[in-house]
Amino acid sequence: MKTMKTLLAGAALSAVIGALALGVAATPAAAKGKKIAVSWKTFQEERWKTDEAAIKKVVAADGDSYISADAQGSASKQASDIEGLIEQKPDVIMVVAYDSDAILPSIKKISDAGIKSIAYDVQFEDPNALYITFDNIGVGRLMAKAIYKAKPAGNYAFIKGDKGDPNATFLFSGITEVLKPAMDAGKIKNVCETFTDGWKPDNAQKEMEQCLTKQNNKVDAVVSENDGMASGVVAALKAQGMAGSVPVSGQDGDLAALNRIALGEQTVSIWKDSRLLGKKAAEAAVAMANGTAMSSLPGVIKFDKGKRHVMMNAILLQPDPITKANLDDVIKAGWITKNKACAGVKKGTVKACG
Amino acid sequence: MTDAAEVSTAHLLATESPIKRFFRATEIDTRLLGMVGAMLVIWVGFQIFGKLITGEGVFLTPRNLWNLLVQTSAIAVMSTGMVLIIVMRHIDLSVGSMLSFVGVLTGVAQVYWLAPWLGSDNPMIWVVGVAVALGAGAILGAFNGFLVAYAGIPSFIVTLGGLIVYNGAAWWVIRGETVAPMDSYFELIGGTPRASWIGSEASWALGGLVCLAIVVGIVLNRSARARFKFPQRPLWAEAFLILAGCAVTLGTVAVVNAYAWPPLIAERYAKEHNIPVPPGGLIYGHGFAIPVLIALGVGVAMTFLATRTRFGRYVYAIGGNPEAAELAGVNTRKITLLMFMTMGILVGISACITAARLDAASNSLGQFDELYVIAATVIGGTSLAGGVGTIYGALLGALVMQSLQSGMTLLNFDSAVKDVIVGSVLVFAVWIDQIYRRRQS
Repeated sequence: MKTMKTLLAGAALSAVIGALALGVAATPAAAKGKKIAVSWKTFQEERWKTDEAAIKKVVAADGDSYISADAQGSASKQASDIEGLIEQKPDVIMVVAYDSDAILPSIKKISDAGIKSIAYDVQFEDPNALYITFDNIGVGRLMAKAIYKAKPAGNYAFIKGDKGDPNATFLFSGITEVLKPAMDAGKIKNVCETFTDGWKPDNAQKEMEQCLTKQNNKVDAVVSENDGMASGVVAALKAQGMAGSVPVSGQDGDLAALNRIALGEQTVSIWKDSRLLGKKAAEAAVAMANGTAMSSLPGVIKFDKGKRHVMMNAILLQPDPITKANLDDVIKAGWITKNKACAGVKKGTVKACG
Repeated sequence: MTDAAEVSTAHLLATESPIKRFFRATEIDTRLLGMVGAMLVIWVGFQIFGKLITGEGVFLTPRNLWNLLVQTSAIAVMSTGMVLIIVMRHIDLSVGSMLSFVGVLTGVAQVYWLAPWLGSDNPMIWVVGVAVALGAGAILGAFNGFLVAYAGIPSFIVTLGGLIVYNGAAWWVIRGETVAPMDSYFELIGGTPRASWIGSEASWALGGLVCLAIVVGIVLNRSARARFKFPQRPLWAEAFLILAGCAVTLGTVAVVNAYAWPPLIAERYAKEHNIPVPPGGLIYGHGFAIPVLIALGVGVAMTFLATRTRFGRYVYAIGGNPEAAELAGVNTRKITLLMFMTMGILVGISACITAARLDAASNSLGQFDELYVIAATVIGGTSLAGGVGTIYGALLGALVMQSLQSGMTLLNFDSAVKDVIVGSVLVFAVWIDQIYRRRQS
């Protein structure tokens, strides 16, 4: 009796597995068009799911099929993921590299198999690949420009991100690029500059408090490298009654930050709409799958600003600085509801809130 | 043999230096004094160093000391519980991510559930918000405790798992979003808005009450010792303790009162209340901030729990020798569970302070706090071997840790250097403590 049950269970199990295997195999084979593959670095962060949805939409609209693998934050898993994807013979493989150096042998395998590759959001330096991302140095520049416009002279505080994240330094180079002339002329003074462990808002708050203490509140503008830290900065300013009179920057389009912009407590949030990035990348992938040459894709430029200065074809999207004036853009784009963006805003003070 | 021993003790007493006699008479914990001394050295060091580097020392200003107290409060609250956990020979690695999870829960409860339902100015929001935080903390803590005490899984593993699980859970609730702004009453817990500074008069009154309590406490202690025929402290030692205690209390009050309201806030207040502004500007003292009072209150309550209740005795008994405590009829499992639950409630309090202070909740709140809490506890003299540790030591330890960090930020230290120094100080402090203990025994 017992053996019988075990046998039945085993049979049922193998049937299920068989069906699953068939299902997996059947989906890509059923579509007629081209095949677009994506190797994701991790789905642990929410944003990549947003990107994926945008990519899938474009691919499906063209009648092509979409396959993917999630490296779960491991460079070695990503290498075997890509081998797996190559075996399924896609036309284009997009890669969100977990490690931009360790990925290079895998990229070579892709080219050797006659498949086109796209570096999505994270750069890897392979001359045969297309690099598509938001202009990251540009984010730093846009932040600095917005703050500079609001306060062209005075004491500046710089709240930088985690020291282990190259982006923190990268952003800062864009920021200093814009402010350098005014700093050299002595109009802008760097009074506080600090990295923030883990980009944590509560650390940023403590740093800002120390900065204000040291300067006896003589701080005229704060360049914070993201919106989370900006929330800490604004809380510290609030305790001194200075929130709203000191310009503060940020990036990411955090919902709370957009509300602060409406309330006048934050000046700007640089917004990178990952749906736009996904859409543009998928369109490029579909075009490449259909035989369009990389260099004749719309918006392609030559880019060699990477670590090794390899010349690549690249599409750099312009991020959007969101201020009180164009708050409507994010509401219209469906990124945030009007209620959330305008919570607590007095009638008639902000155009987007009415 | 006994005679010889007695003779040598008498001989020792006779030849004791005045300093030693002083400590024996006043019964002051010399370790505590050493820590206070170390902290003062750090403070003065930063002041001098700041003067040398930037031309003006900012560390020993009322403003910085006031900030320091507020910045310490969240870690201080958790460290009072961590002492007892470590005394019981356990560890809780999950407090940081538990704080983040609990903070996110109370944030979501306030902003997304209660505010739309009750209207955003309803005073019930903060009550429910705090209840959610304390309740969630208690449940999570009790769950940790259950796994440790009844399932027999080592606390290191249970709470290491918890660290990862709560981290994920916090992410899962808000998906990386920041929830803001908090309820306006709830914000008072964090010490940022004007209404959360109790002001000079109230602070003096509070200081006076504490002085009175010190006097009453010492008098009661004296009569209790008389009743049980215990040796008494000499009268001059009692007087010294009263004076020293009051001096520290009133000194602290003077410092927090000396930090005047930021000019912009005073101006706005004057306008709102139609107060004429004198030529020098309005000067209002901050006084104590609510989070500092919460931390002090928790410190007193936890000290009472540890030293004056049966539960506290059992905790130290289990830490000293778990088998003996068990054999003596102590329900070690129940005590363990309750202790972890208490830790969870303290995490709930800290979560409220942190979220209220930032006026926002996000899943990055509290990350790595477990390391600072454990470091504060250990610097405060708690032995990882169990059985030994004091609440006031942990509070001081938390203040020392925060002093180092704030001081270095004031001087624009590179954050890599900061990490190196903080880590080294931790190890160095424990090493000194070991030497001290070996000499004592």
